[in-house]
Amino acid sequence: MRSRWERLGLRARVSLVFALGGLLLSVTLALVTLGFTRQSLLDQREDAAFASFNGNGRSVQTQLTEEADEAAIVAIVESLSTSRGEFPLLRVDDLWFARNNTRFSVEKLPPDLVMLVEEGNAATIRTTIDGVPAIISGILLSNSTRDAAYFEALLLDDVENTLSAISFVVLGAGVATTLLAAALGSWAARRALSPLGDVRRAAESLAAGELDTRLEPPADADLASLSASFNGMARSLEDRIERDARFASEVSHELRSPLMTLNAAVEVLNNNREAMPERSQTALGLLNDDISRFTQLVEDLLEISRFDVGTASLQTQPLGVVEFVRQAVHHSTRPDAAVLSTPEVDELVISADKRRLAQVIANLIDNADKYGDGAIEVQISLGDDTVVIAVEDEGPGIPEAEREVIFDRFSRGSAGGRRGYDTGSGLGLSLVAEHVGLHGGRVWVESRGDDRPGARFVIALPVGDPEEHE
Amino acid sequence: MGHRILTVEDDERIRTSVRLALEDEGYDVVEAESGEDALLAFGQDPADVVLIDIMLPGMDGFEVCRAIRKISDVPIVMVTARADTHDVVAGLEAGADDYLTKPHAPKELSARIRALLRRVRPADPGARHLVFGELEIIPDEGVVRVAGDEVHLTKTEFRLLVELGSNAGRVFSREVLLERVWGYGYFGDGRLVDVHIRRLRTKIEPDPANPRHVVTVRGLGYKLQA
Repeated sequence: MRSRWERLGLRARVSLVFALGGLLLSVTLALVTLGFTRQSLLDQREDAAFASFNGNGRSVQTQLTEEADEAAIVAIVESLSTSRGEFPLLRVDDLWFARNNTRFSVEKLPPDLVMLVEEGNAATIRTTIDGVPAIISGILLSNSTRDAAYFEALLLDDVENTLSAISFVVLGAGVATTLLAAALGSWAARRALSPLGDVRRAAESLAAGELDTRLEPPADADLASLSASFNGMARSLEDRIERDARFASEVSHELRSPLMTLNAAVEVLNNNREAMPERSQTALGLLNDDISRFTQLVEDLLEISRFDVGTASLQTQPLGVVEFVRQAVHHSTRPDAAVLSTPEVDELVISADKRRLAQVIANLIDNADKYGDGAIEVQISLGDDTVVIAVEDEGPGIPEAEREVIFDRFSRGSAGGRRGYDTGSGLGLSLVAEHVGLHGGRVWVESRGDDRPGARFVIALPVGDPEEHE
Repeated sequence: MGHRILTVEDDERIRTSVRLALEDEGYDVVEAESGEDALLAFGQDPADVVLIDIMLPGMDGFEVCRAIRKISDVPIVMVTARADTHDVVAGLEAGADDYLTKPHAPKELSARIRALLRRVRPADPGARHLVFGELEIIPDEGVVRVAGDEVHLTKTEFRLLVELGSNAGRVFSREVLLERVWGYGYFGDGRLVDVHIRRLRTKIEPDPANPRHVVTVRGLGYKLQA
């Protein structure tokens, strides 16, 4: 039992592995990048903030004299040099001084820090103010003549903005990397598997009868032996099939001269039939029947061997379908068979090989006559770009399982040899299939359209442009 | 006395059996086992119908056919291997009137011979003198003239021309011509008509590549016009 993973197919699996690898790599890189960037940005800002805090702290300490009143203190606070995001806060006695419109005030000071500072420590903590990360430093101005403490907050919105911009880029890069990895995997797998596709196509074309199919010698040395052995197999297959086909053709050819003699000699006997004793007449009857069967067999074999050696060719001419079928039925073993046609095919002219198509109709009628008891009906109608000719009999019909093999050479139906569906040579229906195939058409057998027992042999021939042929 | 049939066939057994069968039908059969023999026999005493197997050792059937055609308009039947090979067209172009494939029943052969002999007689007694511009046909006398000069046609070519001329301007399908000239039904080989039309054109058309009298009607057949 194959796992679901194996059912996915090699290409899909390789693509998936590449994509997962790409994803893992980009996630790791993103985390590391963001972490480092954040750390280094914060460190950098913290250093700057601390320098500014120290400078401002000293500056306050020197300016905060004994006699400085509230206005002077406000002026001190305003005079402090701060860069973007830095906010000073000064406590003198019980009064807190901040700048106007500031985002930082005494309410926002974390009590821990205030406690630490009031105990006499210089302290720095990382916290958030209104959801924005911030660094707040504080110091008790102990050397001053006044009771004062100085705080400075650095709001880090710009760092967050930078980080979120960076993570956006990193996320995009991650997605792109993952997709690229999947595409790369798919492409690499296809590249790696493309020789297999060639082999598959070559095998299919061999199976379809293109016996001269060969693989191009591959550029990759790894695949050279595969292609060499494939070509070797194809070559020996072709040789063998051609040898067999030639043999059948030559045997049939050689049989024609003796058959010619047999036909003429038995005719001479037939001319003197009346003068013969009854036993001889019976024997002569058997001879006649089997000579004509034998002649038919040799002719069918020759016909079919021309398909095998590839020398069968169409001699097309314009044919009025309805007239043609009527004539073919009229010349068949069952001239009484009914021919029905729909109005759309009345004027239809197709380009076809008259001799071959006449044999198709004759063989189908023969077949219906031999194995389907009762009336025979031939129907002509229009399909999709095809003309459909169906021959219906009133026999027992063909079981589903035999509907394909019935067109094989010398195939015999199931009903104990009584049914053979052929013209006596065992090749009748396979010739039908070959002739129809040469016309680019299709042949199949189905149940009768009206649910009565019986077989319905159908051929569908392409409706080309008869003007192409004169 | 029956008609004389010359059979050219290298296989003695076939030759003998065919002779016996044809003699039963009342024909007088002369056998030849090679092309050279056949020409010799024909020179001594011309036959009414010649039956030639294409596959002959030495001089092949096509050459024999051409050689006989040079000296006679006798009906010739070719025996070919297969109906769908180029041999048929080559045989007809060499001058054969009809062909049969091997093996065939003697009944088919005698039917062919009868059809060929039948058509030696003039076709339509009603038409006495047919004129199409410079082309002139006198069916009763078996004479065809182009611009006053008599043209020599084989009997099959003549019969074909008279069929076309007896109803000038009408389009004859291959099937109709096969039936009237060769005695075949609907399933006769249309190439018989095509090759004979080609042969006819080379004899009566001023420019056979651009025929003026015997014209092709695409998809329908042929007609004769002035």
